[in-house]
Amino acid sequence: MTAFRAVVLEHFKHPRNRGSLEGANASEEGANPLCGDRIRVQLRVIDGVIADARFTADACALCIASASVMTEQVRGMSVDEAMRLEIGVIHRVLEGDPPAGRVKCTILPLDTMRRALSKPESGAS
Amino acid sequence: MTHGLIDPREPLMSDEKAIAVATLVSATGSTSKKVGTKMIVGESGRLLGGVTIGGCVDAQVVEAADALLGQGGRCMLSISLDDDEAWEIGLTCGGTVDVLIDRVDVRDSDDPIRSAHAIARETLARDEAVVIVTPLDGRATAFVVTENGTRYGTLGDALLNERAAAIATDVLSSTSRIEEIEHAGTSRKFFFDRQAPPTKIVIVGAGQIAMSLTKMARELDIRTIVVDGRDRYATRERFPDADEIRVGMPSEIVAGIAPTKRTAVVLIAHDYKYELPALRALLRSKVGYIGMLGSKKRGVAVRALLREEGFTDEELDRIHTPIGLDIGGKSPPEVALSILAELVAVRSGKRA
Repeated sequence: MTAFRAVVLEHFKHPRNRGSLEGANASEEGANPLCGDRIRVQLRVIDGVIADARFTADACALCIASASVMTEQVRGMSVDEAMRLEIGVIHRVLEGDPPAGRVKCTILPLDTMRRALSKPESGAS
Repeated sequence: MTHGLIDPREPLMSDEKAIAVATLVSATGSTSKKVGTKMIVGESGRLLGGVTIGGCVDAQVVEAADALLGQGGRCMLSISLDDDEAWEIGLTCGGTVDVLIDRVDVRDSDDPIRSAHAIARETLARDEAVVIVTPLDGRATAFVVTENGTRYGTLGDALLNERAAAIATDVLSSTSRIEEIEHAGTSRKFFFDRQAPPTKIVIVGAGQIAMSLTKMARELDIRTIVVDGRDRYATRERFPDADEIRVGMPSEIVAGIAPTKRTAVVLIAHDYKYELPALRALLRSKVGYIGMLGSKKRGVAVRALLREEGFTDEELDRIHTPIGLDIGGKSPPEVALSILAELVAVRSGKRA
């Protein structure tokens, strides 16, 4: 098994920050319309800083692993930093890139988080 | 005509003053209709339902009902069938069918049969089963016992009601039947008519098997709820027969439906992304049936993952996988047929 697969599997079996977030002030749901991955990203933003981030997902291992890493990464970041977070950072933590055609799986959590933080009603605005 | 119960709001019944309710109370031989099946005959000649699949029995019931509507009261019709007649109406061998026919005044809220049916309909709407007890002789009375123990009406005597309630409690978890009750030095027969809410199937995965399932389930009077995370799949155009279509996080939708023992959940997306979260939500619930599409090998892998998360073997044994009876089918309609066959077997207490 490659290092990438091993890390993805570890995050899939033991995802960090899975579950709903009490007191979230930024939340968004995202989906990949054809494969069916669905994720909800919730964040609590205090004074422009992400104090907490959690996710709920019915999604594939790549998507869950990506969400697990992302929610760890963005804690303590400013909203601006989180918005600029690149998928490459998450892939580096996962120790590899997903197969061609599966990048949409790892990007979904990041895209969903960005949309959550962009909402006018979110605590980030 | 839900469950064959009287519903004064039913368009076909709204302008009837009186109706005759015919109930199949016993059948020797193997009938294709269950004991408890009803037919309603209106004063105007309208018919709803049927106590057999047709033929001579229904014709005799209609004839008796017409006579009863003219003269009032109630009657018991016992019809013996030779083997040829029996075959024609779906009995595999000759026997006897007994049909109880009651005249009911649709507009009289004190009519005991009408009242009992109204209570039964309300109870079924709360997703609870109910038993209506009626004597096979004497004047029409009705006593109703619901799944939560509430009682309505009377058989005319408190002790009789107590004895009937004890039997009804047993009937609630089995099937309709006739029972004898000893009372005041005599033995009387009563029909215990069990009415249960329809089985509901929650179908996770809006693919081709699901499309066949919703079509076939309708014929079996089974409600269907199609669930998927993909709105291009879970559409009314693809599922014209589904009772409900829900798009969202499948595990949350499944958990939100509050599964009961009469709910079956079939996981046929053939994708662990939906199966694992749904199973986490279901394995410790009261849901009556959990089936998952896939090979034995796939079932073993999914169970191993969930076992690591702390689910017990007893909980994991609730998953029927491979799903459905092994009838050798491969096409989506054949797989759907095998799933429904297994559900009917489980519902009937037959281990598939």
